[in-house]
Amino acid sequence: MSIISGEELLANGMDKAVELMAIAANTAMSFGPSKLKIVAIGPEEFQQMADFCEGLAEVSPLFNRDGRSFVDLAKEDARALLIGAKRKSVYNFDCGACGFRTCEELNKAEVVESVVINGPCCHFVVYDVHMAANAAASVAWYMGLHCRVFITIGGAASGCELIEDCDFAVGVGVSYQSKDPYFDRHKYWTEEEWEEHFAREFPSFTRRFMGAVE
Amino acid sequence: MERKLREYEERRAESAKLAAKLLLASATTTPRVGGVDEISIHVLETRDEIEDMAISIDKMADDNPAWDFFRSDAVQVKDSDVVMILADRRSGHDLMDSDCNLCGYMLCNMLREAEKLPDEPSVAFRGPFCLLRSLNMAYALNGAVTLARQLGIDHTIKMSVGAAAIKMDLVPYKCDIALGFLASVTEKNPFKDLPKKWAEYNDETLQNRLIHRLFPVFRSIYS
Repeated sequence: MSIISGEELLANGMDKAVELMAIAANTAMSFGPSKLKIVAIGPEEFQQMADFCEGLAEVSPLFNRDGRSFVDLAKEDARALLIGAKRKSVYNFDCGACGFRTCEELNKAEVVESVVINGPCCHFVVYDVHMAANAAASVAWYMGLHCRVFITIGGAASGCELIEDCDFAVGVGVSYQSKDPYFDRHKYWTEEEWEEHFAREFPSFTRRFMGAVE
Repeated sequence: MERKLREYEERRAESAKLAAKLLLASATTTPRVGGVDEISIHVLETRDEIEDMAISIDKMADDNPAWDFFRSDAVQVKDSDVVMILADRRSGHDLMDSDCNLCGYMLCNMLREAEKLPDEPSVAFRGPFCLLRSLNMAYALNGAVTLARQLGIDHTIKMSVGAAAIKMDLVPYKCDIALGFLASVTEKNPFKDLPKKWAEYNDETLQNRLIHRLFPVFRSIYS
């Protein structure tokens, strides 16, 4: 029998895992006939998204946090499954959750375009996309992959035009490294930086008593 | 009913309630966008509660011309052993403040000032809501779906259950959006393979029409 190296096994396994996740996303439970766009991305795209997030770092702490980790994910051969859809309602529920009385009014409403998401979106389209993301994540989890669902991956991917013809998207990041790269990412800020942010966001905590100024 | 079959029937109903506890756990522990508590899950497990819910969904079908499917949903609710309501108590008034534009208002402060839909029977959820918050309900729903698949329990998801739960005040105070999850421990999945006019031709109506209505007449004539 030919010997297959660990690296090769992991990389090939990862490809198959992403394929299975796409199947789980496509067959996930949904509220109706929503059309999902599914795309898988790899290390080069993570690098591209890291650059995009760096541009948004000043305005969004979330993009800042995830952008820093995308650089490492690109080095670690991480992958992500992107799932997106068009914003319009295909259900005809007339439920009112979007703020419009009927689905027809929502579909006729003027599009509000922004860098990463175009609104207003039908709530149930978004639910379907996120249920698909959750189904993909659960398959990844059963296969033992580290995974996390990121709105920022979806946003950055739309911004970098990695997923076409979608009004919004979400990403499921997966990794086969021994350490989970998606949680407890303490290495992205120094202790001083952390103290500074904490003191700024929760001033009453560092004053120890509400209203007591030393 | 025969003793053995009654025992089986009781255990079957009990197993559905046990599964509901696990499904609730799975739905609760799914991740949340924003990492803040906001979804509460309410379980209807007694027959009375489930029948009340079915009646209220059936009544709502008349409130909006688009809600014809509520009639078939009401039958499915009646056929299920456990009804779960997943409610989001933040998306109406406590926005995510991330200016994501999913709702179509560029900034969260614009959504704060937006006028809510009026409190009318034809409006299920008085939007607009913070969509980035309310999509956490989708995660919770799929948490229940994932475990139901593992346990081999028939299940489905329903918007009408959420709409009725709001109308029936089964959700926390100031919570205006909810979704429903139905689970059934039966030999034939009551949520699939349904005829188009399921509200008209279902087990109960056929029982009523053929066995209780027509057969007694047949019997009295030919006896």
